[in-house]
Amino acid sequence: MKTTKSRCWCLRYLNWLLDADRRLFLYLFISILFSTGCSKNNEEITPGYEDGKSTAIYDLAGDTNASMSDGVDGKEKRPFYIFLYRFSDKRQIWIRNAADSARYLKTGEWDLAFTGPYNSEVYVNNANDESNPGYGGPATNTAIVRYDQLYSSVTEAPADDIFNQSEISKIGWSSGPNSSGWFNYSLNTHLVVPIKNRIYVIRLADGKYAKLELINVYKGNPPTVSDLNWPAPYYTFRYFVQQDGSKNLNTQ
Amino acid sequence: MYKFYLLMLYLFPLTVFCQTKGSLQGVIYDEEGRAIAAATITLNPDNHFLEVEEDGSFQIADLYAGVYTLAVSHMGYKNYEQSIEITAGQIAQIKIKLQKDTHTLNEVSVNDKLVQSDNLISATNSAMPVTVISRKQIELMGSRRLDEILKEQTGIAIVNNIAGGNRSVGVQLQGFSSEYVMILIDGQPMVGRNGGSFDLSRISVTNIERIEIIKGAASCLFGSEAMGGAINIITRHGALQPQGVASIRYGSLKIVDATLEGETPFAANRGEANLSANFYHTDGFNVNNRYQTSGTTVPPSDNYTSQGRVRYRLAKSTSAGISGRYGLRKSVMTRGYGNDIYKDHMDEADLNASAYLNSTYKNGLQSLSRFYFTHYNWDSKIEWNNGTLGEQNNFLQSVFRLEQQFAYRIAALSLTGGIGGLLETMNDRSLGDIPSMKNGFVYTQGEWQLTDQLQLLGGGRYDYHANYGGRFNPNLGVTYIPAAFLTFKAAIGSGFKTPDFRQRFQVFTNPLVGYTVLGADIARTQLLAMRDAGQLSELRNYTFNKLQQDGLQAEQSNTFNLTATISPSSKWQVELSAFYHHIKNQINSFQVATATDGQMIYSYLNLPKVNNKGLEASVSYKPLPGLDVSLGYQYLLSKDQSVKDSIRTGNWPYYNLRNPATGETFRSKTADYWGLENRSRHMANLRIFYNYKPWDVGLTFRVNYRGKYPFEDANGNYYIDRYDTFVNGFFLFNASVEKKIFKKHLALQITAENIADYTDYLMPGQLGRVVLAGITYRFFK
Repeated sequence: MKTTKSRCWCLRYLNWLLDADRRLFLYLFISILFSTGCSKNNEEITPGYEDGKSTAIYDLAGDTNASMSDGVDGKEKRPFYIFLYRFSDKRQIWIRNAADSARYLKTGEWDLAFTGPYNSEVYVNNANDESNPGYGGPATNTAIVRYDQLYSSVTEAPADDIFNQSEISKIGWSSGPNSSGWFNYSLNTHLVVPIKNRIYVIRLADGKYAKLELINVYKGNPPTVSDLNWPAPYYTFRYFVQQDGSKNLNTQ
Repeated sequence: MYKFYLLMLYLFPLTVFCQTKGSLQGVIYDEEGRAIAAATITLNPDNHFLEVEEDGSFQIADLYAGVYTLAVSHMGYKNYEQSIEITAGQIAQIKIKLQKDTHTLNEVSVNDKLVQSDNLISATNSAMPVTVISRKQIELMGSRRLDEILKEQTGIAIVNNIAGGNRSVGVQLQGFSSEYVMILIDGQPMVGRNGGSFDLSRISVTNIERIEIIKGAASCLFGSEAMGGAINIITRHGALQPQGVASIRYGSLKIVDATLEGETPFAANRGEANLSANFYHTDGFNVNNRYQTSGTTVPPSDNYTSQGRVRYRLAKSTSAGISGRYGLRKSVMTRGYGNDIYKDHMDEADLNASAYLNSTYKNGLQSLSRFYFTHYNWDSKIEWNNGTLGEQNNFLQSVFRLEQQFAYRIAALSLTGGIGGLLETMNDRSLGDIPSMKNGFVYTQGEWQLTDQLQLLGGGRYDYHANYGGRFNPNLGVTYIPAAFLTFKAAIGSGFKTPDFRQRFQVFTNPLVGYTVLGADIARTQLLAMRDAGQLSELRNYTFNKLQQDGLQAEQSNTFNLTATISPSSKWQVELSAFYHHIKNQINSFQVATATDGQMIYSYLNLPKVNNKGLEASVSYKPLPGLDVSLGYQYLLSKDQSVKDSIRTGNWPYYNLRNPATGETFRSKTADYWGLENRSRHMANLRIFYNYKPWDVGLTFRVNYRGKYPFEDANGNYYIDRYDTFVNGFFLFNASVEKKIFKKHLALQITAENIADYTDYLMPGQLGRVVLAGITYRFFK
């Protein structure tokens, strides 16, 4: 007896649910729920760095075989090899031994040096800075000025006074109030977070002006890193060198 | 303690060993005299479970003569309890009338006090709100692992702790992260955490009778670690008749979940035994196809769990039992980014074993002595495809625990209390030698029914920790029922957590960016030694003095909770609650010195305060018999007050608010602070459960919503603001269908989870769509 009663109830309820209007409403409701579930799947698209004038370098491998950690038994436990970079022909030059150092460091054959752990500390070739790999070399007049704005909106190099006054030497972890580093480091996740839209305008050894944006150290230039072991260092960066010697850095 | 057991043995009169059996027959009906089918009967002290027949009748044979407590519970009715005497050679007859109760429609019910033979303390002794998940619900949802069940509960999220590595996944409860939520099995603490997180996916839900979740400080019951709450897993007890279950599920991601379970009484019903074994396999899943070209982000794993329990009645009112559980997980996860591929190996095993003796004296005093041992072992290594090895770790933790519990009831006052101690040892390759920890505790909890409208619940626990001295944690709850349809509850409680080994003894140097972290207990001597050796360029006097004077204090929390339950009719129930958790002395790392080589040296210090506050609402609607619709919602604000202070005082880098899209930097205001990482402001769920008895069909449909939550600080000001990286809000849809055939012997089930296949690479632990088919066979008479 009880059973039939409850079944009746149930059928009546089903009827009610399946009544045409309500059915429409129900389908609508469910499809909205599902579509919100699906449409949320928008992936962040990495912006293109090509503007026709600048040079964009993607995933330039740094010294991926070194390790400075204890307990990393298999990897070579040694400091990371420095690599140098030359803007004019995109050449990467490795400094692996004393012979390499003697051959390249005190020369004008390079513009940038990627040094330190994970090659994350970047220098512009400079003869006067004691910590600079190019110390005592020919690059006597180089300087860096920092801008916090969009790469494309940095259209002109500043006056020489400003270059001369700039004290920026190493570009690495932005670890203090006046630091001009190119990344933040999370003590919580131990991951590097690049500072977006931080542009370095450089006076090069040959007197030409350039602008540089260091974009990422992680492979594939992900917007956010979600794996502590995400492969690094793989450098993504872009730059523009004004060949005519003027201060015009417009790349649009 | 051994003397105590010996004494107990002498006390047993030998006469009880004679064959003196009787039986019990009865019928359950409602206020209108109609039979109630499917009510659950529990007979104590044996703790026999029994489901009533369709005509409301039940029968239990082969009972030893003596006085039993019979409890009857059924959804929609008030729980019933009475004592009954069984006389040898006679059949005792009983008729039980259940009264309708509007308050038990929801599974969340404080009246739900199933007595367990191996634990006199129930989560419901806590003044804090308790959610109970029943075995029925777990079975109907078709969940396999504990995390799957919990992530669908209101106010609970399963969170990946990226900082803790690939495998650090834990539960978040009302804004408390996993390290503040204690996990217990049958009321005994489980150990084994990775970066503070307890990965609940290592626990199979096979053999779980029910899960109790205490939301809010529960240190008054469980001591340190239960600062933000506790999750107590209650394993299955034996039954009256021999029965067994064999079940297998298979489907997406090559998930296999196979279970064998058997239970039987023995020695003419004096004893009972329960054994179960489970195998679970998953291939894992990759949510990050865009960047991760091979392998998975959710680890593949093979899991083996076996569990057993034996209980034996030594005398009329004395029983003893042992139980054990062993879980083993083996996992090798590959993660590949183009040619850079590494394997993350992990083996973990945990063993839990306990023995107890439960006696009830003539005056009604119940005593329970129990011993518990648990051991956890973790082995992990990272191996790159070019043969190089990444981080490796080995970690062992074990706990020995002895406890004596008492329960006593005088008229309207029921009291529970206990005393005990534990010894914890640990061995961690990365931390070096760790001294063992000793902890003693004593607690009491009382429940007092003053009038029909007013109930008081309160008590406290005193913990003595060899390194941190004594700490008393009280709690108090008041329940007031002004009208039949309305209940108010107010609760206050406190909790604490002693600093862990890492915070005390760690020496960690990160060469990547050049800094060192020193555990607080060793920082002082290390720093002084470094200073004397001329290795420090700067010693921060403020932080160093604080470290020297105060040392590292235990973290503390105070919880306030107000709940109103309204049941306008038997079909509806609405519950609203407001919670406020005030956390003091939260431990965080601070810079204490700078070395001459420019390395920064950090140690741990207590932060002033963190607040989690919010609202929880639930609505339950039962329009038809067997149909349950419920809606849950949580609003949460979780903020670190010291961030606001730092913004106000203008400390670097807190005063910076940088818009990464333009490179502009503004001055921060306190209103720019969004809250703590991984906490969603809004979380909601909708659940529809339908059980159509005549066809033995069960259906569930569940929608879970998690609002957007912060992933990391992207603009370098050490706090979360609107410009930082957030994980988008999302909906997950789950459903299941179950049909029982052959007189309920055979059950066929199809479950579908994450039907819309929603994933985000910032949620590495989220599986895509999973569809499984399952078949379960139950052996019973």
